[in-house]
Amino acid sequence: MAEIDTSTKENSVPFYPVHVSNEAKVVLGISVIAIVIGLIGLFSPVGLGEPADPMNTPAHVKPEWYFLGLYQLLKYISKTAGAVLPIIGVLVITFWPFIDRKPDQSKRSYRNRAIGVAAFMVILIAMTIWGEVS
Amino acid sequence: MKITSKRSLLIAILGICMAILLLISMSGESQAGPSKPEEPPANETPPNWSRASTLFTENIHQILPSKLTAANLPPPVKDPCLHCHISGEETGLWTPLVRWIMFGGAGLIFAFGIYRSSSIWVTRKPWKPLLSRTADWFDERYEISDPLSKFLSKPVPNFARRWWYCLGGITAFLFVVQGLTGIMLAFYYKPTPDQAYASIQFIETQVNYGSAVRMIHHWSANGMILMCTAHMIRVFIMGAYKKPREFNWVSGVLLLLLTLGFGLTGYLLPWDQRAFWATTVATEIGAAIPVIGDLVLVFARVGWDVAAETLTRFYALHILILPLVTVASMGAHFLMVRRQGIAEPL
Repeated sequence: MAEIDTSTKENSVPFYPVHVSNEAKVVLGISVIAIVIGLIGLFSPVGLGEPADPMNTPAHVKPEWYFLGLYQLLKYISKTAGAVLPIIGVLVITFWPFIDRKPDQSKRSYRNRAIGVAAFMVILIAMTIWGEVS
Repeated sequence: MKITSKRSLLIAILGICMAILLLISMSGESQAGPSKPEEPPANETPPNWSRASTLFTENIHQILPSKLTAANLPPPVKDPCLHCHISGEETGLWTPLVRWIMFGGAGLIFAFGIYRSSSIWVTRKPWKPLLSRTADWFDERYEISDPLSKFLSKPVPNFARRWWYCLGGITAFLFVVQGLTGIMLAFYYKPTPDQAYASIQFIETQVNYGSAVRMIHHWSANGMILMCTAHMIRVFIMGAYKKPREFNWVSGVLLLLLTLGFGLTGYLLPWDQRAFWATTVATEIGAAIPVIGDLVLVFARVGWDVAAETLTRFYALHILILPLVTVASMGAHFLMVRRQGIAEPL
């Protein structure tokens, strides 16, 4: 790993005011987007469905979109596996730094991990879309 | 010193002028003001308060008895409708507010002029601005300026100024947005099955900017999950989780799970069909875990079904427990970043 001396002026900027003002611009941009979304909300609110009725199950019951892929997986594999696999997945992701301990030697490892992430995301997005349309 | 004392004299004179104006306006008002309003006759039919619930839709004067004529007018009703302040019908609040700000400001300027003049007179030293005076006062007691300047002057490497390094910061800012809009919504939300739905309807239709705040809360929640994932993918691909930053990654995964927990608990709160059944199937995923599945289900739902206790539990998790844990984890996350610096790319 190439050592970069961050204390020199050529390779770094001071946290205040340069970096703080850069971050403030990002914050301002996000705030503007949030206010625009709020203005849209004044004219077309998020809205509500029918009031909850435990006696009446709707035809297409779905969880939130970020659990939709998992929910779709659970429909097609056995119940136990469908619950155990995500837990193992989360545990593996949580402790991944202790599994992959070798320092990066080249950009090749970036590419390998990017391919892995892309494959995972494609599967996840496909499962989510499948869950949405089914 | 001469100039500063001149300026303070000017401020004092300005304040005195303002005070004289205030006195004149007050005395004029008391002379020209109306005498004590007459009491309405006792045999007058009282206002029909059973129709008070129509306050939102009707003018306040419409609920008074209709046989009143111009000659027989009662004294003006003083602020009969507290709800009107919320729904925006009441505008009478602004006149006293403007008056308070104007004359209160004049009074503050006056008091400041007196203080400044007397301070220069007593100490025989040039005036020091209030801000640096306050800063010096605190620095003398808490010695904060050295660590603060060290904190602020820490160099940020140039490679960390590319746009993909700000995804985590955006997530943190969206959390702040969620906190602010969530507090606003919590002022009006009622976490019981009977009232949750109606209170959200109230927020969307009656509360000023309520639908805007709810819209921001809704979309910022989705944005937070997306930005969290994007930040995680960036860190993963660039290998920034490697030694010595292992625990930063662990705390980051914890923060993602907490964000998903916010989503799960917050989705139930509107208590409509979509929320109810989404929570039912989402908690069923937890029930599929072997051995402890039933325990997880009962703990999440407080019983076998999604019911009133589920709503209050999710509400407590959503507004108390999850924010506390998240703020603590974010603090640890940022402290580690600060201590270890941003990982260098190859």
